[in-house]
Amino acid sequence: MAQVEKFSYDNAIVRKFAYASIIFGMVGILVGLIAALQLVFPALNLGIPETTFGRIRPLHTNAAIFAFVGNGIFMGVYYSLQRLLKARMFSKALSEFHFWGWQAIILAAAITLPLGITSAKEYAELEWPIDLAIALVWVAFGINMFGTILKRREQHLYVAIWFYIATWVTVTVLHIGNNLELPVSLWKSYPVFAGVQDALIQWWYGHNAVAFFLTTPYLGLMYYFLPKAANRPVYSYKLSIIHFWALIFIYIWAGPHHLLYTSLPDWAQSLGTVFSVMLIAPSWGGMLNGLLTLRGAWDRVRQDPVLKFMVVAVTAYGMATFEGPMLSIKSVNAISHYTDWTIGHVHIGTLGWNGFLTFGILYWMLPRLFNTKLYSQKLANAHFWIGTLGILFYAIPLYWAGWTQSLMWKQFTPDGFLQYGNFLETVTQIIPMYGLRALGGTLYVAGYFVMLYNLVKTVQSGAFIGDEAAEAPPASTWAVHAGKEHWHRWIERRPVQMLIASTIAILIGGIVEIFPMAMIDDQVPRIESVTPYTPLELEGRDIYIREGCLGCHSQMVRPFRSETERYGEYSKSGEFIYDRPFLWGSKRTGPDLHRVGGKYPDSWHYNHMMDPETTSPGSIMPPYPWLLRDELSTKNTAAKIRTLQKLGTPYPDGYDQIAVDDLQKQAKMVAESLRKDGIDAEKLEEKEIIALIAYLQKLGTGIKPAPQAGN
Amino acid sequence: MFKYILENAGNINWMAISALLTFMVIFMVSVALVFKHNPAYINRMASMPLDDSNPVNSEIDNHEK
Repeated sequence: MAQVEKFSYDNAIVRKFAYASIIFGMVGILVGLIAALQLVFPALNLGIPETTFGRIRPLHTNAAIFAFVGNGIFMGVYYSLQRLLKARMFSKALSEFHFWGWQAIILAAAITLPLGITSAKEYAELEWPIDLAIALVWVAFGINMFGTILKRREQHLYVAIWFYIATWVTVTVLHIGNNLELPVSLWKSYPVFAGVQDALIQWWYGHNAVAFFLTTPYLGLMYYFLPKAANRPVYSYKLSIIHFWALIFIYIWAGPHHLLYTSLPDWAQSLGTVFSVMLIAPSWGGMLNGLLTLRGAWDRVRQDPVLKFMVVAVTAYGMATFEGPMLSIKSVNAISHYTDWTIGHVHIGTLGWNGFLTFGILYWMLPRLFNTKLYSQKLANAHFWIGTLGILFYAIPLYWAGWTQSLMWKQFTPDGFLQYGNFLETVTQIIPMYGLRALGGTLYVAGYFVMLYNLVKTVQSGAFIGDEAAEAPPASTWAVHAGKEHWHRWIERRPVQMLIASTIAILIGGIVEIFPMAMIDDQVPRIESVTPYTPLELEGRDIYIREGCLGCHSQMVRPFRSETERYGEYSKSGEFIYDRPFLWGSKRTGPDLHRVGGKYPDSWHYNHMMDPETTSPGSIMPPYPWLLRDELSTKNTAAKIRTLQKLGTPYPDGYDQIAVDDLQKQAKMVAESLRKDGIDAEKLEEKEIIALIAYLQKLGTGIKPAPQAGN
Repeated sequence: MFKYILENAGNINWMAISALLTFMVIFMVSVALVFKHNPAYINRMASMPLDDSNPVNSEIDNHEK
C-alpha cells in the first residue's frame, strides 16, 4: 500500500448552500402560492404594483429555479464532488465568493423584479448588470470545480461529475447567447436580436435552462445520492454513459418546440419536434437507471423516507420527460400550448423531480453533516405524503383546466361560429380548478414547513463537522497507462478533454439551428407596411414589459381557424422585425393581443386598465390604477431611440433629438380622443396610460388599417 | 417511405437530415464502444459513490485489458 494523504472535506460551504436552498425554497413556493391565489382572488395584490401577478410570477420562477434549485445544485455538487474526487475544494475564497455572490444576485432579483425591472425573457428576466454578475459568479464556480478536478486523488471521473461539467459549460454558453443586449441605461437594455430570431434564441435558452439547470445537474445528484441512500451501486454504468452523451447532444435542439405553430420557419419547428421526441430515450434511460438502482432495496423504500422522496422524484422525472416529447408533437401542442397544461407539466418537474430530490438529499445529508440522526422519521414520512398529495392536487386540476379551456377555445357552433366567442367565458369556467391548484400549493407549503421543523430539530440535536477528515493515496500513485485503452476510460481521466467534447456536443445543435436564422436575412420576409414603433408606442411597450403583461397575454395568433376567427389574421414573422424583445408570451390567462390594435376605442383601454371588471365583468385581471396616476418618464426616450438605431431600427438620423416632441404630439392626440369619450384628468396627456394605449392600438396593425390611437 | 415522412415533416432540409445522421452515428458508435468495456472496470465505477471512506486507486485498478 502506498503512502496515504490526510486531508479534510469542507462541509461548511455545503451547509451554507443547504440553508440557502431551504430558505429560498420557502420564499419561492410562498410567492408561487400567492400568485396562484391571485388567479382566484385578484384583489390579493392589495392594489400594490410590486405585488401584482405580472411582476411576482417572474419572481416566483426565478426564486424556484435559481434560488431554491440553484442553491440545491451547489449544495449537492460541493458535497459529492469532494468525495468523488477525494479532494477538498480547490479554493476556500472562491467557494465563499460563489456563495455570497449567488445570494447577492438572488437579492438583486428579489428587488428588481417586483420593481418591474425586467428584460422580459422567461427565466432570464434579470437586467444586464445582474447578468454580468451571474457570469462572474458562474466563472468562479467553474474555476473552483475544475481546480478541484485537477487536484483530485481519484483518477477516474464518476458519471455525476460529467453531468456537472456539461451543466457548467452549457449554462455558460446559454447565458451569454441569450443575454446579448445593448444597455440603454443602468437598468434597461434591448436585445441584439429581434422578433423571430429573438424568440428562437430565447427558447433555445429557455428550454435548456430546464435541461441544463433543472435536469442535468440533478441527474448528477441522483447518480451520487441515490446509490448512497440505497447503499447499492448504480444499476448500469454502461447505460449512464450512453444516456449522458445522447441527452446532452439531443437536449440542445429541443427549444423550438416552445414555438410550434408560431411564425418561426417550419424547418426550425420540425427540428424541435424531431429532437424532442427523440429525447424520451435518453431521459427514460436515466429514469430507469435510477429506479433500477433500487433493485433489491424496495423493502427499504417502504420504511425510509429518503428513498421514498427519491423514488417519487425519479418517477416525476419520468412523467415529465414522457410528457415533454408528447407535448412537442404538433397535433398535441395545438391543444396544450398557451394553456395550464404546460403549467401542470413544469410543476411535475419542479415540485416532483427537483423538490423531492432536494428534500431526499437534505434528509439524508444534514444528519451526516451534524453527526446525528434525523429528528423524526415520522415527520419526514408525513412531509412525504402531504407533499405528494400537494403535487397531485396541483397538477391534476391544471391538466383538467388546460384541456377544458383549449377545447372551449376551439369549439364551433353548427353554424360555424365560435361557441365561446368571449374569451372570458373560457377563464371563468376553470377558476374552480385554479382554486384546487391553490389547495395543492398550500399542501406542498405545509409539508415544507414540516420539513423545516424536522431539520431545525435535527441540526439542534447534533454537532456540526465543519472539516470532515478523510484520507486517500495521492495522484502520484496512479498507474501509467500504456498501449491501447478504451476511449471512454481515456476521456474520464481527462476533464479538459471531457469539457471540450461536451462543448462540441452541445454546440452542434445550437449552431445548426441558430446560425441560419441569425445570419440569413431571407428567413424573415420583410413587410413594407410594418413600421418601427413611435417614441410613445415604444414607451408604452416598455410599460407592458415592466408590468409583466406577457405573463398572461400572448402576441401570436396561430394559423388555426379557431384563432383567426377569434383574433384576426394569423401572425407573420415579418411583423416582429422591430420587436426588441419579442413578446409572444407562453400562456393565455387572458386573450391574445397581437390584433388588439384598433379593435376597441382608446377609452375602452383606459377604463379596462382602471378596473377590468367595468369592461369585462368577472375578469380576473387586476386593476392598474397607477398607470392612470403616474406620469410617463421620458428621461430615457432619446437614449432608447439611439440604442435601437445602433441595433438597426431605421429611425431617421438625429431622430433622438426630436423623439420626445413627437411623443408629446401623439400623446396629445390620444388624450384628445379620450376627452371626446368623456374621460378627463389633470395632465391626462402626461400619464403612463396614454403610452400604453398607443402601444396596444399599434399592435398587429402593420398588415391592417391604421390604428385607432389618437385618430 | 422515409422520403414521405421527411417530406411531411415540413420542408425539412439538409440541416435536419445531417443532424439526425450525426446523432445516429455518434449514438451507434458510443453504444458499440460502451459494450466493449471491461466488466470489472464498469463495476468499480458503478460502486464509486459507496467508496467514500475506502478510496479506490489505480494502484488496485487491475482492470486493464
